[in-house]
Amino acid sequence: MVSNSVSLGKEQISRYWELLNVLVSRNLKTRYRGSLLGVYWSLLNPLIMTGLYTAIFGATFASYYGNSIINYVLAAFTGLVVINFFSACTTQALSSVVWNGTLLNKIQLPVSIFPVSMIAANVFQFAVGVFPLLAIMTLINSKSIINVLALIFPITGLILVCTGIGFIVSALYVFFRDLNYFYELVVFVLWISSPVFYPAAIVSPQVKALLGLNPLSPIIESFRQISLSGAFPDFILISDAILRGIIFLVMGWICFHWWRSQFMDLL
Amino acid sequence: MEVIRLDSVSLWRRTQEEFSYDLKKTILSFLEGKYRQPARKLVLDKIDLVVNSSEKIGIIGGNGAGKSTLLKVISSILQPTTGVVRVRGNIAPLIELGAGFDSEISVIDNIILYGVLLGFSRQEMRERASSILEFAELQDYRLVPVKGLSSGMSARLGFAIATDVQPDILILDEVLSVGDESFKKKSQQRINKFWHGDATVIVVSHDLNFVRESCDQGIWLDKGKIKFSGKANDAVDYYLQSIQR
Repeated sequence: MVSNSVSLGKEQISRYWELLNVLVSRNLKTRYRGSLLGVYWSLLNPLIMTGLYTAIFGATFASYYGNSIINYVLAAFTGLVVINFFSACTTQALSSVVWNGTLLNKIQLPVSIFPVSMIAANVFQFAVGVFPLLAIMTLINSKSIINVLALIFPITGLILVCTGIGFIVSALYVFFRDLNYFYELVVFVLWISSPVFYPAAIVSPQVKALLGLNPLSPIIESFRQISLSGAFPDFILISDAILRGIIFLVMGWICFHWWRSQFMDLL
Repeated sequence: MEVIRLDSVSLWRRTQEEFSYDLKKTILSFLEGKYRQPARKLVLDKIDLVVNSSEKIGIIGGNGAGKSTLLKVISSILQPTTGVVRVRGNIAPLIELGAGFDSEISVIDNIILYGVLLGFSRQEMRERASSILEFAELQDYRLVPVKGLSSGMSARLGFAIATDVQPDILILDEVLSVGDESFKKKSQQRINKFWHGDATVIVVSHDLNFVRESCDQGIWLDKGKIKFSGKANDAVDYYLQSIQR
């Protein structure tokens, strides 16, 4: 009996893995039509935005970044990369369960595969597109391979937060089909309230406490600390980023499972 | 040998008309104090069913009797609200072929995608791709995106993938016949092969003569309840009597 359930678990894991593989490759193929260069399109957005912010705010905010425009550019870029990844992951995850509703009515599938595959496709894109740039930036600034390796921690935190929120929004979208409009607003609020293009120091202390609730702030801070400061990775920032990731993932998973039994009636 | 067993399986489903599907409306109705719990409807009512291996079972009944829902519960697409479903062996639900196709990607990628959705591994599907293409007569379309196929061609492809290996349990929602005349014949032969082989077959059909001739067992469902279960001929007779009355 016990061995039976263990082998069943193994079977389920390998099925999940197979499904994840085909769904991610399907996703990337439809997005880029077979051209690997297509992945680099995803870099276009943060690069253009960074240029724009630098042109508008660079001169004003440079004093907060040690009077260096370059530092401002790098800070804006890391912030944008995080917020872009978050918004792409979660908005794609949001509609994933509903879009595959017909399929779920024909074939028995683990429902969580759909939001997870959306996140996984974005992780792949991040790994080949943005990550090499971040790694080079980090290596030049810190001259230490440890910092480059430490990038994995805020990235993990980011992926966990995205997966958790992806679970929640994809489940809620089953019940509320106008959620995407509200969610756009939520992403905008998170984006403005993360210190992406402005230094955190300009915000008044009362408001700052509120901004601390933003799950992305410690992740952005950790990225900047590791890749821009040149100092040894700060473990407090890292553990804050990872801890929030775990909290969001657990919350998301619980909600998803809690609501899952009602999905099929509404798809 | 017993392959499928349902013990007093009941299923309540939310009726979709009752549901607003709308965050704005839900919030506003909460504020106005008009919010109601969504209504639920009993779709399957204490179904007991035992299927032995290589039995051919026909399920009959009027529209909305819960026939397709019963198939979905057996294929574990839907979880019963109460009761237990036990299934031994792999199930191939042939409910609307090609539902898993992505029209943007190539035929060969779709073969792998659909096969994995049905529960096979990528490796297996790569090995079987050529025999599937041959059966569907689509060898020349290997790298063409599925949106470039005609609807008959993609139905052929769906059928070829789903029936490439013989499943232990075959679930059919209406007997399939797809494609043009020559392919219809070919697909019919393949179904017949399964039919006369060891496969356990559960089929939902409105073709009562077909159920009489091809099934050993008949189940008559009415409003989510099993009205009769036994010889296929008897099930059809009782069903017809109830209509004429």
